[in-house]
Amino acid sequence: MISPKPALLPNRTASPETKPALGGSWIHPLVCAELFAVANLAFLGVDILLAHSMNAFHNPAEWYPIYFSAVASLLLLISQILTRLRPDPGSWPQGNLAARRRWQWGRALGLFVGASAVVLGVVGLIYHLQNQFFELRTIKSLVYAAPFVAPLAYTGVGLLIVLNRMVACDQPEWGWWVVTLAMFGFAGNFVLSLTDHAQNGFFHATEWISVVAAAYATASLVAVMIQPESRPVLRFTAWILGGAGVVGMLGAGLHLLGNFEPAELFAFSQDLLSGKVSQLLTSQELRDRLIYGAPAFAPLLFTNLSVLGGLGLWGIVRTRAGSSVR
Amino acid sequence: MAYRSVFLAVLLGTAMIVAALLINRARPSFEVNQPTISLVRASGKCAECHRRETAAVVHEFELSRHALKGVTCLDCHQTAGGQEELDHRGFKISKQLTGANCKQCHPHEYEQFLRSRHAAPAWAAVRGPEDFSAEQIQFSEQFHPGAVNRKANMLAICEGAGAISRGCTACHDVGKPNQDGSIGSCTKCHARHVASVELARLPETCGQCHLGPDHSQIEIYHESKHGVLFNAQRKIMNLEARPKELKVTDMPVPTCATCHMSGIEGLKVTHDTTERLSYFLFAEHTELRPTGQQGQLAMKETCAKCHTTPTIERFYTEAITVLNETNDHIKEASTIVEKLRVDKLLTPVPFDEPIEFLYYDLWHYGGRTAKHGAFMGGADFVQWHGYYEVVSKLVELKRMAEELRSAHQTPRQDRPADDKPETSAVTQPNSFTGN
Repeated sequence: MISPKPALLPNRTASPETKPALGGSWIHPLVCAELFAVANLAFLGVDILLAHSMNAFHNPAEWYPIYFSAVASLLLLISQILTRLRPDPGSWPQGNLAARRRWQWGRALGLFVGASAVVLGVVGLIYHLQNQFFELRTIKSLVYAAPFVAPLAYTGVGLLIVLNRMVACDQPEWGWWVVTLAMFGFAGNFVLSLTDHAQNGFFHATEWISVVAAAYATASLVAVMIQPESRPVLRFTAWILGGAGVVGMLGAGLHLLGNFEPAELFAFSQDLLSGKVSQLLTSQELRDRLIYGAPAFAPLLFTNLSVLGGLGLWGIVRTRAGSSVR
Repeated sequence: MAYRSVFLAVLLGTAMIVAALLINRARPSFEVNQPTISLVRASGKCAECHRRETAAVVHEFELSRHALKGVTCLDCHQTAGGQEELDHRGFKISKQLTGANCKQCHPHEYEQFLRSRHAAPAWAAVRGPEDFSAEQIQFSEQFHPGAVNRKANMLAICEGAGAISRGCTACHDVGKPNQDGSIGSCTKCHARHVASVELARLPETCGQCHLGPDHSQIEIYHESKHGVLFNAQRKIMNLEARPKELKVTDMPVPTCATCHMSGIEGLKVTHDTTERLSYFLFAEHTELRPTGQQGQLAMKETCAKCHTTPTIERFYTEAITVLNETNDHIKEASTIVEKLRVDKLLTPVPFDEPIEFLYYDLWHYGGRTAKHGAFMGGADFVQWHGYYEVVSKLVELKRMAEELRSAHQTPRQDRPADDKPETSAVTQPNSFTGN
C-alpha cells in the first residue's frame, strides 16, 4: 500500500464537515471514480435482473447478485459518507478522534464491499462456466453459455473500490491502476461482444464494430500502461476512448432498433408521454423484447469503460508534473 | 518513444481483431450461414436452456442425423403454413408440430405417407370421416375406396371415450388430421428429436401398434425365420444406412420396413406402406386390393433380393390357399349370423349379444392371424392362433345359433317393424371394426 501524499490535501485544518476534500473541489478523479463505482454497483443489479430473467432464474443463486447490488451500493454510499471521500484521516484535526474513527469505519466498510464484489465476480465466473463450458469445453458452449466474462464486472468495480481506499489518488500510480482496470474491462468487453455477436453469427456486418472498438481500446490502454508519462500516447488513447464511447451509444441505438421497429418505438414514446407508464411496465411483449432481444444496456458498457479509462487518464495527467496539467 | 507505444497499440488491437475473425471463421458453416438471425441463434441458444430443462431432448437431438447435418431446432420448430405461432423466449415457434413441418424438407416422403393407409384411413377407422375436410376425404378415397368415407368404429363407441383416447387413437392418430390442414405426424415412427431412420427400421417400432390378437404382426415376425435371424444378427446390421443406398450387407435379414418400404439394392423407397401389398388381409372377407397385382409384383421383387423365384411363388401359393380357406370358414360363420339377423333373432344394436362377440373374435382374431401368419412365415400363428381358433369358434357359434333358434322357435310377431335392422354387420364388412 502506498501512503498518500499530503500535496492533494492542502487545507488540513479546514473543518471536514463544511469543506470538500481533495483540494477544495468535488470535481476530482477520485470523487468521480467513487460515484462511478456506486452507480455501476447499483446498475449491475438492474442489468442482471434482465439477464437472468432470460433464464427465468432457473438457479436460485441467480438472485444473489441482485440482492448484493442493492445492499452493496447502499453500504458503499454509507462508506463514502463516513469517509467524506477523503483518502486519509490526516485531513481531520488531530484531536477529532470521533471523525477519525468514523473515517476508519467508513474505509473498512468500503474495503469490505470492494472485496465482496471481487469474490462475487469470481464465483459468478465459475458459475457461468459451469453452465456448459466445463462439461463440453467447446467454443460453441462458450458462445452460447451464460456470458462467462460478465460477472467479472463485479470484480472490476470491487477492485476499483479497493483501489480508491488503498492507493493515494494524488499519485500517478492511482491513475495507472484505473487505466489498468479499464484495460481489463475493455478486454472483457472484447470477449463479451465477440461471443454475444457470435450467437448471431455476426449476421450484420455492424456487429463487428464493437469488436474492433474493444480491441483498439484495450490495446491503447495497454500503451498507456507501458508509457504513462507520454503525452502523445495519452492523447491517442483519449481519442480512442472517445471513439469507444460513441460506439457504445451507437450500439445501444442499434440494439434498440434490433428489438423494436421505429413505429413501435414511436408508439412506446407516445404511451410514455401520455402517462401510460404502468401499461408499459406490465406489457408482456415489451418485457419479452427487452429480455430475449439484443441486450439493451450491454453496448453502454463501452461508454462506461471509456469514462473509467478517461478517469484514469485524468488521474495520470493531474498528478504528472504537479497539478499544472489540469 | 511515444511512437513505439502507439505502434504496439495498433499492432495488438489488430492482432486481437484478426484472432477474432479466425475463431469465427473456424465455426461450422451451419452455425453462421443461415438465412435469418433466429436460425443462427437456434443453432446453440435453444440447447443452452433445454440442456438444463429437458436434457434428454437435447441429447436425443445430438444423436440424430439432423444434428450431424446442421439442422437447427428452429428448422423443425418454426411454423409451417397454417400453424399457430407461439412466442417462446425470443423465438417464434409453432404451437404444435405436425407432418407439415417435416414436409418442408421431406415433401416426397410426406406425399407417399399421405397416400398410405397410415394416413387418413387409420384415423377414420376409429373416428369416421367427420374430422376430415372434403378434399382430404376425396384424396384418400382415390387410393382406399370406403376407407375414410365410412362409419366410426362401433366397438370403440360401445367401449367408451377412455378406450378410444388411451387405446384406439394412441395408434390410430398416426393419421390424425391436424389443424394446419396436414395429416398425421412422422414422429410416430421416427420419434421426435432423434428423428431416427434406425428406429423406423426396428420391428419393435412397428410392433408398438401391430401387435396383439387382432393384428399380431410383431409376434408373427419374431416367430418367423426373419425375426429369429434379425435377433441373432442385430449387432452386425447397419440400421442407420441411408434409405436410398441400403444394401443387403447393411440389412442381411429384413425387418418390417425392409419388405414394405425400403429401397434395398436399388428398389424405390416408399412411405406408402400399401404399395407392396396385394390383399386386404385385415378384412373380414379378404379380397384382392385394387392395386393388388402391382403390389404383389413389387413385394416379390423385394423378396427376390434374398429368395429364388420358385421359393417366392410357392410361398405365395401356399399363403393364398390359407387365405381362401379362411375366407370359406368366415363366410360360413357370417352366413349363420346374417341369417339370425334376417330372422330377427338378433337385435340391430351391435355388440350387445354374446354371439356377436364370438363371431368378431372368429374373424377379427383367428381369421386375421391365420392370414397374416401365412403371408409372414409364422407357422404357429397360421395353425394354433389362426385356423384352430377359427374352426373351434365356428363350432361354438353354430351351437349358440342353434340355442338362439331353439329359444325363439317361432319369430316374434310383437316386435316393432322399425326394430328390423336395415343392414347387418355381415352384409357391411368392416362396419364394426377399425379397419
